[in-house]
Amino acid sequence: MVRLISHNLLACHAKGCTSNNFPLQFKDVTVELREQESNPDFLKNIMPRLEWKALVGAARQLGDTSLPEEMPEMLDDEFLKNLHHVLFEIHVEEGAMVCPNCQHVYPILNGIPNMLLAEHEIS
Amino acid sequence: MKNQYLFGFAQVHEEFRIPELISIAELHNIALQIPKDADVSRPFMVLELESEYDALALARRCILIKWVCDFYGRGRTYEEVYQETRANVSKWEKYIENTSFRFIVTAYNHKIPQSRQTTIVESFSFMDLKGKIEMKNPDITLMCFEEYVDKHGTTRERHEGDGKFKEVFFGRLIAEGSARQLVKIFDVKKRTYFGNTSMEAEISLLMANQTLAAPGKLLYDPFLGTGSLAYTTAHFGAWVYGSDIDGRQMRGKQDMVPGVLRSAEQYGVSYRILDLFTFDVTQNPWRCGGLFDAIITDPPYGVRAGAKRLGRKKPLKKPQTTNERSIAQRPDDQPYIPPTKPYELSELATDLILLARYMLKPHGRLVFFLPTVTDEYEEVDVQTMLCEGMEVIANSLQDFGSWGRRLITIRKTTSQEYSRPNFAHGGHEQIDNYSGSGHIPAHKDFREKYFKGFRKDDTAEDASS
Repeated sequence: MVRLISHNLLACHAKGCTSNNFPLQFKDVTVELREQESNPDFLKNIMPRLEWKALVGAARQLGDTSLPEEMPEMLDDEFLKNLHHVLFEIHVEEGAMVCPNCQHVYPILNGIPNMLLAEHEIS
Repeated sequence: MKNQYLFGFAQVHEEFRIPELISIAELHNIALQIPKDADVSRPFMVLELESEYDALALARRCILIKWVCDFYGRGRTYEEVYQETRANVSKWEKYIENTSFRFIVTAYNHKIPQSRQTTIVESFSFMDLKGKIEMKNPDITLMCFEEYVDKHGTTRERHEGDGKFKEVFFGRLIAEGSARQLVKIFDVKKRTYFGNTSMEAEISLLMANQTLAAPGKLLYDPFLGTGSLAYTTAHFGAWVYGSDIDGRQMRGKQDMVPGVLRSAEQYGVSYRILDLFTFDVTQNPWRCGGLFDAIITDPPYGVRAGAKRLGRKKPLKKPQTTNERSIAQRPDDQPYIPPTKPYELSELATDLILLARYMLKPHGRLVFFLPTVTDEYEEVDVQTMLCEGMEVIANSLQDFGSWGRRLITIRKTTSQEYSRPNFAHGGHEQIDNYSGSGHIPAHKDFREKYFKGFRKDDTAEDASS
């Protein structure tokens, strides 16, 4: 962990950070690849919630170019295999996620991000 | 055309029995009607279902089901049972020829002497089963149960009161409840990583059933702690996110794989723990709402684990300067730990429901424990926590005497989209929240009451209700 599916669901909610707060930018990351079996039921559940451009951008930031810029019309097996890999098998274990708007740094330690806000950032 | 099935239940967590049945019936689209006279203080129940498949589905998933039988008869006397069994001949006549069988006679709260067991078996000879008696692998097992009143606390002879049963039940065994063995498998004491706030296995499993956890679903625990609720929900096929304001609870020792993942690995579900996060759920980083099929959690009551949220209890004497605020300039190179303040239970509960309404998909469920003070609890305590579009569908008490905790299941009945709730400090004035009614629930200031032993103050001050 942090998986890219999760990264796609996270935004910066520091006080006043209401625009350009998604997606968070990776910084100084250590990435691990871990295979896991595919799960069509769950993929079907989560796909409507994905922000496609952000997902593609994050994958490319980490060196994976298998996903197309736009979500294709036909979801063929090759595409689904690549999507599965990007969403579930790329793990950001160390490093940080940074808000492009307020620059808050969310450190990732041992696969768990610290997303606590500072005192002046809470509403 | 419905058929009757005889269920035997574990006689524990009685208030959880019917909500569990109803939940699993909903999960599997099983038509189930609970009889109006259903009495959970007794271990046997006859329920109407459309088919044996439905009975099996319940027995495979409900933690409190010990076994299920095709129902043949019941009565206060054996004569009544014979009569009902004869009337139900269409259920068992196919077994008369060529079916090997064995007969088990047993009792609840009693031990029947072997000699009378034999007499009872012989008394069913009117069924005229022609097949062989097979103790080891019979084609069918017939079961006869005598229910006795609990003689707990009296010294008595082993077979005293023999024959003076309250009721006797008879049927053909369909299946043993196979979910019950999960209680041992998830035993906290055998877990790789656990803590003193870890939820006990049986309750974690009952909670997972209340969420309708199933393959393909996405669940969330915002007070994850040591992860107990993630394991049981993931076991039933759900994918789980967990967060906690205290990262140490999820991690355990440093320089190891996080504790929650190690325990998840023990149960073979670690790949379905999607991610773990350290954050205050009232200042959460979720990009949008409507994500989760269910939210399952055991929020901190403030007793063993301090319930807290980000913020300062007392405002600073002088406001911080920009320099003081800068996280990067901590001289001792330690990670910045923002100040926290206590999170009073009744505020936590109303906030949780408001948050769940935003984060759940329509028809999603929120399942959580609410501690209550036995002497003061009223049902309105739970109603006033709600906001529009959230409806209580189950409320089961685990009784500890002067206090207890209630497993609350709330369904999001609305499809309306709500904006992200703002848990602003001090102001809990959400317009459509019912807590503005002025009612003070028994669980308010639970922590203080707990440490006072639930005794009321001697002073004139009294909680108005």
